[in-house]
Amino acid sequence: MDTQITNKNPQMRYKQRKEEKPLMATGLSYNKSKALRDRLYALIFLGPSLLVLIVFVFFPMFRTLYLSFFLTNNLGKPTVFIGFANYISLLSSSAYLHSLQATFIYVIAVSCLTLTLGLLLAQTASQKVRGISFFRTIFSGTMGVSVSVAAIFWLFIFNPSVGMLDQLANLLHLPAINWLTQPGWAMTAVVISTVWMNLGFTFLIFFGAIQSVPSTLYEAAQIEGVSKIYQFFHITLPMISPTLFFVSIITLIESFKSFGLIDLMTAGGPDNATNLLVYRIYQDAFLSGNYGLASTESVILALIIAFFTFIQFKVLEKRVNY
Amino acid sequence: MKKINSYNSRPLLFLFLICIVLLTTLTGCSSAKADSKIQITFWHEMTGPAQVQLEKFVNEFNKSQNKYTVVPQFEGNYNEAVQKILNTHGTSASPAVFQSMDISTSQIYNSGYTTPVQKFINADNYNVNKISAVARAFYSKNGQQLSMPFNTSQPVLYYNASLLKKYDITPPPVDPSYSDISRVAQQLYARSDKKVKGLSVEIYGWLFEQFLANSGESLANNDDGHSGTPTAVNFSGTTAMTTMKWIQENIKSGAFMNYGSGSNAPTNEMAGFLSGKLGMFLQSSADISQLTAGTEDKLGITYYPHPDGQKSNGVSIGGASLWISNDKSRKVQRGSWEFIKYLMRSQNQAAWQAATGYLALNKDSQKEAVLQKLYQKNPAARIPSQQLARTVPNNTNSGIFMQGLIQERTLTQTAMEQIYDGKNIKSSLQDAEKQMNSYVKSLNQANK
Amino acid sequence: MGIELSNISKSYDNQNWTLKDVSVQIRSGEFFTIVGPSGCGKSTLLRMIAGLISISNGTLKIDGRDVTNLQPQERALTMVFQNYALFPFLDVKANVSFGLKARKMQSAQINERVANALELVGLSELKDRKPRELSGGQRQRVALARAIASDTKVCLMDEPLSNLDAQLRSKMRSEIRELQQKLGITLIYVTHDQVEAMTMADRIMVLHAHTVQQIGTPSEIYQHPANAFVAQFFGTPRMNLLSVHYASKNQRHLKFDSYIDYLLPRDIEDGDYFVGIRPGELEIHTADKANAVIKNIEYLGTQSIIHAVLDNDMEIRITTSKNNTFCLNDHVQIRATNTYFVFDSTGKAIFFNKGDVQNGYTDHKQEPANAL
Repeated sequence: MDTQITNKNPQMRYKQRKEEKPLMATGLSYNKSKALRDRLYALIFLGPSLLVLIVFVFFPMFRTLYLSFFLTNNLGKPTVFIGFANYISLLSSSAYLHSLQATFIYVIAVSCLTLTLGLLLAQTASQKVRGISFFRTIFSGTMGVSVSVAAIFWLFIFNPSVGMLDQLANLLHLPAINWLTQPGWAMTAVVISTVWMNLGFTFLIFFGAIQSVPSTLYEAAQIEGVSKIYQFFHITLPMISPTLFFVSIITLIESFKSFGLIDLMTAGGPDNATNLLVYRIYQDAFLSGNYGLASTESVILALIIAFFTFIQFKVLEKRVNY
Repeated sequence: MKKINSYNSRPLLFLFLICIVLLTTLTGCSSAKADSKIQITFWHEMTGPAQVQLEKFVNEFNKSQNKYTVVPQFEGNYNEAVQKILNTHGTSASPAVFQSMDISTSQIYNSGYTTPVQKFINADNYNVNKISAVARAFYSKNGQQLSMPFNTSQPVLYYNASLLKKYDITPPPVDPSYSDISRVAQQLYARSDKKVKGLSVEIYGWLFEQFLANSGESLANNDDGHSGTPTAVNFSGTTAMTTMKWIQENIKSGAFMNYGSGSNAPTNEMAGFLSGKLGMFLQSSADISQLTAGTEDKLGITYYPHPDGQKSNGVSIGGASLWISNDKSRKVQRGSWEFIKYLMRSQNQAAWQAATGYLALNKDSQKEAVLQKLYQKNPAARIPSQQLARTVPNNTNSGIFMQGLIQERTLTQTAMEQIYDGKNIKSSLQDAEKQMNSYVKSLNQANK
Repeated sequence: MGIELSNISKSYDNQNWTLKDVSVQIRSGEFFTIVGPSGCGKSTLLRMIAGLISISNGTLKIDGRDVTNLQPQERALTMVFQNYALFPFLDVKANVSFGLKARKMQSAQINERVANALELVGLSELKDRKPRELSGGQRQRVALARAIASDTKVCLMDEPLSNLDAQLRSKMRSEIRELQQKLGITLIYVTHDQVEAMTMADRIMVLHAHTVQQIGTPSEIYQHPANAFVAQFFGTPRMNLLSVHYASKNQRHLKFDSYIDYLLPRDIEDGDYFVGIRPGELEIHTADKANAVIKNIEYLGTQSIIHAVLDNDMEIRITTSKNNTFCLNDHVQIRATNTYFVFDSTGKAIFFNKGDVQNGYTDHKQEPANAL
């Protein structure tokens, strides 16, 4: 390039050089080595977590997918490749569809109740009333309760011979309900217990969110003569909508994954009324040793959760951002 | 079969596992230093008094000779232990001798991971006739003893004798029929002004299996698997129909109490019985010590009930047996056998029954002072042993030699739940049967 | 829409008074400013007028109607907040119409009012934006528009400009003032900024230490402060307050040194006094006979503020338009003019002298308490 310009205006040539040089001489090679170095750094920093992810997330994920296409023998080893037969037999099995239905009922009931009650408690606790801090402590109390303790607590309440509810019914001359042995009631009992377990956390998160709404918003509304209920729906709810969104997703996913209370309270019964998808997976894998089928169920469950989360993002995202 | 071991301990499992890891590392270190005895790792799933007594036996065995050291390790509940046994085989972590539950027999046998105890019985000319035939039959295949029955129970009917006396009701006979039981249940419910429920039958696959056994009906084809791998099951035969009808009638009359299924059911059932709100229930003979300790009421026991108009065929057993792994050296296997023999001694079996409620399997145990004393104090305690002794083993009362029995229990329990909830008996049972048959099909395909 | 406060008091425990005996009559269409340092109770007073905080004692009348125990919405007023109190999830238009919608007003009427209000504050173009897409000044205008749209004759403002930068603040000052004039509303405006109070208000109420210090027009307050606190609160830089002991043997002289020596036109009692001198009412010279040393100079362009220490160790502030004349540590001569205030030991103004004008000045309605 230089040679071409030599016979032209020297000033121009100088100018040209001044502009080109950094680009040509150092610029490119510098960029190249920098890119390489950046990549190396990226690898060094991401490597360990990538390794952990591969070993503990990706490998089990693909292994599960792989196993779902096999029959497994009594030692848990895949022996016969059967393609989608596991999927087909599951989706055509009335028992599995029953579980699916029970799971949806459970998840919807638990999510709705947890969100509604959590919000209600948080709103109540946000009132400036004397002694409200006592209730705040009470409301958040279930945060510290472990699943096993909660199960014991509720089993005692639902106990058919010596339970509190039974005695209460007795006292009021109402017919005793066999909470955990009648399908409809068992689901109710499990939902109540789960919601109770969830409430502490949900309450605390909602309470924090409500507290962080500037009080002047309410004052401004109050001066304009806006009713308390209108304030709740048109100020509080939109203001805490990001939290609402977060909690609803967490609650939904968590209730899809419910295991402990089910295991301890009903073990999936009666008549599979509370045999949720996760519990079925546990039974098939760890009790029956049927890993192929359990893997198939896991894949289906993962797809369902992914689908619901996707829907939630799509529907709620628009309403949340402000 | 004592279910406390298989269900109740799940929340504590992880804690126990951690303790065991610590304990094994500690004991491992000390024993390696202390002596050059052959170490025999023994996996079991016993909790409570049974665990205490078992560890006592281990200590006594270790002291009684100087060739072997048995190291007991608790492995959680029955179901999980099976998976662990199968998954550790061939590694240094695997046990030399292990306890595995009744319904895992076919699965363990088919794994090919064990040395049948028959080999040692033959080598020693060990007199197995001293050991209960019904119990042995459960763990044998083609006349060959696969494992040694250990903690063994039989289902019986318990009744509150004091309560029956209070309401002036004639107790059920020792070998009752369904209608005998119904009669007592109805009377108790009526005469107590509906305050006391007459009868409870836990929703439990084991009890379902026993109804079939006691009337001599096979649950699986190929003679309950004793003459070949089963390919189909029978949940909706005559006996199942009769029995479920009997239960549903009692439910309709109000005299029956449904405690449901799962780990809480037996706990609630026992609480109901001990608090005088329940008159009779079917349960494992291993509950006897808890039942006598928990109440001042007099406890009555009968044999397992049978359908009307036929003789009882006798029930099979429940519980677990002891297996010897074949991935250990001959010396270690030999030591395992010596330990098993030690446990089966008549005085040890007597002590076992007295301490746990599991039945003494050695026929000589009945003469031991400790059992004589027990029977003197509580004559009803003799009933389970008598039931065991009078039963002549045949293909229908020697357990079901089939894989996938956990699934079988899950399915029969679901059917029972439906029936207890008032659904149609025939369709509930047939539905479960259909599901089990397709499960058996794929199981056989996978394990070819 | 006059507002009458009679002995308004606030206490949360009936022992400690956040506010005590505030009385004033605010005239219809008046721009009334409540000013005071932070913690003086001015926001509390405003919120009591709004009805957001209950009134412990006293009565409040708006347009002759006793509203002491009425709910905020029954008082027919509107309020603008320091943080604007805009709803972040609503656009400008919806923010302005929020209250109207909640009260189920007809939509045609709402649209008209909103359009009108936005027009008045010059935000018609931005009516579809969300608050986060607006600048601070624009947000404040949305808040103003909301107040305008509610169409009440009384408006309360709680430090509406304190979140804005200085330039914008002065612009908004005049805008608010203009709007108030145009709409003819009665405006009660709370601020801690004496400049805002002086420049905007028809009348000012000075609050300090839970009590009213003085109520008056800006010039009254500046010219005739009721006490040392008010005197010092208004005016930049702050008034110099020099403590002095007077005895009759001094023969009417309040003497600090030979150049700062005031001759009282009449006799006062023996005792301790404060003499207040505004920094502009002192002269500073370079002279051979100096009585002070310059410690700091703040150059402000048209004038400078000079901090000096007198030979008798008294610190003093002087403003002078003689820029670039003085340097740090210069020895200068500081001389008094004949304009000064005299406060008694409690801070109460008893006397002022302005060139030729003299006044005993003791006829305040409010007794200043515990000033200083």
